[in-house]
Amino acid sequence: MIQLFQVYKNFGSKNPALLDINLTVKKGEFVFITGPSGAGKTTLLKIIFCAERPTSGNVLVHGRNLNRIKERDLSLLRRRIGVVFQDFKLLPRRNVFENVALALEIIGFPLPMIRKKVHQTLRYLSLTNKEGYYPPQLSGGEQQRVAIARAIVNNPLILLADEPTGNLDPDLTMEIMALLKEIHIRGTTVLVATHSKELLKGTTRRIVTLNKGRIV
Amino acid sequence: MGNIRENRLVHLIGIGTMSIAFLIFYAFILVFVNINYWTEKQGKTLSMSIYFKEEPDSAVIENIKKELFVFPGVTVKQFVSKDDAMKSLRRKLGEKAGLLDGLKQNPLPASLEITLSRDKGGDNLPYQLKKRLEKSSVVDEVHYTQEWIKKFQAIMEVIKIVGVIFGGLLFLAALFIITNTIKLTIYSRKEEIEILKLVGATNCFVKIPFMIEGSIQGLLGGAVALFALFLAYIIAITRIDISIGFASFNIVFLSPYIILFLLLMSVIIGFIGSTISLGRFF
Ligand SMILES: Nc1ncnc2c1ncn2[C@@H]1O[C@H](COP(=O)(O)OP(=O)(O)O)[C@@H](O)[C@H]1O
Ligand SMILES: [Mg+2]
Repeated sequence: MIQLFQVYKNFGSKNPALLDINLTVKKGEFVFITGPSGAGKTTLLKIIFCAERPTSGNVLVHGRNLNRIKERDLSLLRRRIGVVFQDFKLLPRRNVFENVALALEIIGFPLPMIRKKVHQTLRYLSLTNKEGYYPPQLSGGEQQRVAIARAIVNNPLILLADEPTGNLDPDLTMEIMALLKEIHIRGTTVLVATHSKELLKGTTRRIVTLNKGRIV
Repeated sequence: MGNIRENRLVHLIGIGTMSIAFLIFYAFILVFVNINYWTEKQGKTLSMSIYFKEEPDSAVIENIKKELFVFPGVTVKQFVSKDDAMKSLRRKLGEKAGLLDGLKQNPLPASLEITLSRDKGGDNLPYQLKKRLEKSSVVDEVHYTQEWIKKFQAIMEVIKIVGVIFGGLLFLAALFIITNTIKLTIYSRKEEIEILKLVGATNCFVKIPFMIEGSIQGLLGGAVALFALFLAYIIAITRIDISIGFASFNIVFLSPYIILFLLLMSVIIGFIGSTISLGRFF
């Protein structure tokens, strides 16, 4: 499903952000990517959905080599990958409904279908009463949930979540983790990047630890 | 088109800048069209003034007219009496008309204004006519403008060439300004574009709204510019009395065809401008 072969990423500084990364994530797996801040977790996720290109090495996602993928195919692939960005990346001038609907609009879903799916997802994330709000009017935790809603509304094959509980209090953190588990049970491959040791306590899931750009 | 609502200020600035760019270009075209129109008209007709020794009575005028109508291509425009000539001079002098108050008698001659068509009368007609009329006992002098027009036409040819080059440069300048204006709109939504692409929007999905927007901006900018130009034209024809030599110069506005063409062109410029700006962005 996701394979990285000898991936290096250098942003131009002395120390590369990622070096010699070999990683295979099977279809339907749930993987935590952990490590201290600056370890390269975000960069790793970015490489998987091709927001960054590796300096060298190969990345295969859903059978496609990202080094050789065409512009159009990349768009199609990204529609199968839901991403919860560390900084959410919500559109500030569109309300909650419109932000979530965006993921379906770009695919060209008919409007009644978009409405139905967005409402369903917002209910699932307890955001129904925030539908008309604009991102700046929401708390960090609410924005995070909108970001998750946008990522899962299209039932992606892969969900990449970058510090999805970074802005949440303990109660909400547990709620979101339960949600991610549920999405996983429905068949989605889930990668969660987190620097929080708390989150990993007692988990039986696979943990990939990064340090200074290397898998340890 | 929710986007137009979202970035109202950027759009207003954009349309404003475009309007100015278009206005300069259109104003130039208006001047050019007028010069063209005028030379064409002047090239075919020629005006002649027949000055009388004394104020003629209507019988004298009728006689002269009869004599004139023998020649093909002659049109009598108007008779200007001594009083008319004085009035027109006063009007031209405006505030300085007081200078004329000291005159005991009107020194201005009465005249008959006529035009000759070169197509019908031939090149030699003005000279023949002048010779013949000046033999008459009531006629003092005959003036016509051909010499001057001939020289003028040579200059016009040069102006036309310069005009086409200058117009082309203005067109490029307008396109450049407009491309940069649209780039500003696109940059103001750089983040949005990035997010759209990250969630899987195709290039077309992202680009097409900008192209439509650019075309609409172009159309609005062009329309505003044409409207401003029309206002300026109205003010010009009501306030300014332009006359060169004997030929009075009446300004014409752009014909409906040219207006339609210019509007279409502003849409196209908006479209090309957004395509160019997007090309650099993606
Ligand atoms: N766009 C970038 N340009 C330059 N350096 C970057 C960029 N993105 C990340 N880095 C560097 O790469 C390293 C890893 O960053 P990141 O992947 O964000 O770490 P993490 O998510 O684990 O905190 C850091 O040293 C960071 O400064
Ligand atoms: Mg990070």
